[in-house]
Amino acid sequence: MKPPYFIETLARNGDVLHRHAVAALPIRLGRGYDNDFVLDDAHTAASHAVIEVDDAGLLVLRDLGSRNGIVHKGRRHSALTLDGDTVVRLGHTRLRVRGADFPVAPELADTTMHGWEGTAPALLGLLLIALFTTAEYWISHVQPVQAVPYLLMIASGLAGGMVWASAWALANRLFGGHARLGRHLFILGGGMLAVGAWRALSEVAAYAWSAEWLTRYGNLVSIALVAGMIFFHLWTVKPHHPRRFAAASLILMLAGCGLSLMSNLQNSGRAADELYMSVLLPPAVRHSPNHSVDDFLGKAAKLKAGADSARSKSPKGDDGDDDGN
Amino acid sequence: MKLHQLASILTLTSLCAGALAAPAAVKPPVMLAAPPPSAAAPRAAGAVPAAAATADNAPLPPPSSAAQQLYSSAKNDILQVRSLLKSGRTQSSVGSGFLIGTSNLVITNYHVVSQFALEPETYVGEWVDTSGQRGNVELLAVDVLHDLAVVRVSRNGTGFFKLPEPLAKLTQGQYLYSLGNPLDLGFAISEGAYNGVITRSFYEQLMFTGPINAGMSGGPSVTVNGAVAGVNVSKRLDGELVSFLVPARYAQALLNSVAQQLKPPKDFNAVVAAQLLTHQGAMVDSLLATPLSLKAMGPYRVPVRDSEQMRCWGRSSATPDQPFTVDDTDCAMETAIFVSGELQTGQIAIRHQYMRSTGLDSLRFSQQASASFKNEDFGNDKSTHLTGPRCTEQFIDNKKLPLRAVLCVRAYRKFAGLYDFALLTASTDDGKMSLQSRLDAHGVSYDNGLRLSRAFLTSLARGAQP
Repeated sequence: MKPPYFIETLARNGDVLHRHAVAALPIRLGRGYDNDFVLDDAHTAASHAVIEVDDAGLLVLRDLGSRNGIVHKGRRHSALTLDGDTVVRLGHTRLRVRGADFPVAPELADTTMHGWEGTAPALLGLLLIALFTTAEYWISHVQPVQAVPYLLMIASGLAGGMVWASAWALANRLFGGHARLGRHLFILGGGMLAVGAWRALSEVAAYAWSAEWLTRYGNLVSIALVAGMIFFHLWTVKPHHPRRFAAASLILMLAGCGLSLMSNLQNSGRAADELYMSVLLPPAVRHSPNHSVDDFLGKAAKLKAGADSARSKSPKGDDGDDDGN
Repeated sequence: MKLHQLASILTLTSLCAGALAAPAAVKPPVMLAAPPPSAAAPRAAGAVPAAAATADNAPLPPPSSAAQQLYSSAKNDILQVRSLLKSGRTQSSVGSGFLIGTSNLVITNYHVVSQFALEPETYVGEWVDTSGQRGNVELLAVDVLHDLAVVRVSRNGTGFFKLPEPLAKLTQGQYLYSLGNPLDLGFAISEGAYNGVITRSFYEQLMFTGPINAGMSGGPSVTVNGAVAGVNVSKRLDGELVSFLVPARYAQALLNSVAQQLKPPKDFNAVVAAQLLTHQGAMVDSLLATPLSLKAMGPYRVPVRDSEQMRCWGRSSATPDQPFTVDDTDCAMETAIFVSGELQTGQIAIRHQYMRSTGLDSLRFSQQASASFKNEDFGNDKSTHLTGPRCTEQFIDNKKLPLRAVLCVRAYRKFAGLYDFALLTASTDDGKMSLQSRLDAHGVSYDNGLRLSRAFLTSLARGAQP
């Protein structure tokens, strides 16, 4: 390692909190003001440790008789050889020492669209949120369109969206340095659009081609879309950890889907959301052929075996044997 | 039960007569066995709390000398029949019964004994007579369809209650005297008039315009000579003094069958299942004996059956702030077969709902139609009587109307061969109107369920009557 040496104070997650350059060895560390590097930590000694070069020319950190000592990977050392990635703990302070010749990782490609920040994505996000709430309100209300209820609906939708996006912006300011509120609003708007579009398209497809599984399990896709939205929020907060966040979002999605399926099983004894497809749409949407009454009743006749075999099984919530004893 | 006590109750109830609440909408008759409603008031029982409330207020004629004489000669032969929990011998429901002739056989209602008939491992029967004597009862035979049962007790009758061959002829307006133990208060007699045979329920019943209260179920209604006219069974909550009796000839038939059987059946669940199967066969045959009648709803024609047993009611809703109209037709049998407190079956119901847009675009109209189609209950898998629903669904075309159809089947856990069928359909021919229909067949065989479903599905049509 070549001088100057850099002593870095680290956070738990490895982020550098503070960096201090020292021109030459030895470097004395401690709480006292006569040290080369002053530790603001009540759990360190006035003269805690010293960094020197050993016989082999390697950097060594040596304990100067402190009470709490030098801890590396959970074990206490009286002396420890340092390379650029050795993290030691003195009291509550985590330190790393690197020389001027420490090789740094190659430059990352910048995938952030720096132009897509601020007002433009914020307005588009708010527009999408307003569109989503208006569409939801319109489809479920039969009364003629009146300005006041729709404006109230849009206002509460936008307020809710602002609360959500602001929470993410706050996290972004804390952990990423910038608020990026516009981006978070846009992500929320995009997520709502995706969920709304999926619900509409899956219902139309289910009715058009008699694909009942789409209404039975379509909600799982909505959960996946929400997990995806959370991934984009996280990625915006910390743009250089996409893998970690993708894994976290995947776990979130699996947990959400699992909970949804389990609660269906608990409440109704089946994993699907519905017992039967309840979507009815105008006849122009239909594309699958009609079956005959005989065909339908033939399928109905096949239900008998299942119903008969279920007789011997005791009802849910009753663990008792049902064989009449 | 002492006479002065009876008299005081009669005075009390006539005093309260002015405070009768307005009757509710048409309701089926209630059964009159009396499970105790709460620990706080163990002596004041009512099959339905409302039954006790309205019944207490019912006006009573003053006791006649005939009633006094009748009660004093009948009191040795009327019993209270109780259903007790085996553990602890606490009573879970009470009814009445009467000894036939000088035998040790007692006639009562099936619904009084249903608990220990179906769950002999949990319940046991007990009799108590007017002098306070008590003992165990042994169930010999049940007739679920007419709601009758014959039990054997450990004492003999004095010969007061007779079922003579041929039975006594009844004329409308003739006085009948109904005996029993109302609300577990004590033995009582009440006076009323015979008012003919009712054919509304699937099986004949006699109309008795006299007070019958919960707990008097299974008690006899006799003519002034002591000839049994019928067995107290139920009353209407929405009327005043409209009570029902099971005709004595069914009791006679059940007694004859008891005389022929060597020993009582071991498993009454099987007996009940066989009787319910017989019932559903006759019920479905009579329902499908002639093609279902078709009724117009908008441009559609829908199958209904309006008969003595099955009544149809219609309703229309059109509110000014709602840009679509909804018409309903509900057809249901007014009575069902009582099997146990939680299970009534042997009944068929048909419902049609016609929705039409009056200015609503087809997209939002389809949302309203979907919401209505979704709002249907097919039960769950938590019932101890029925399995969870198993369904099949398809787009079908019966050559007269394209439909979305859903059919769900549930099997009876305790009664082999019986099923509940629920068929739900929605028309798919028009974006601005929706005909949604539902057929419910409770307690039918699988073949009859399919037969009913086919008859229903093939009858739905659009267009004028051919």
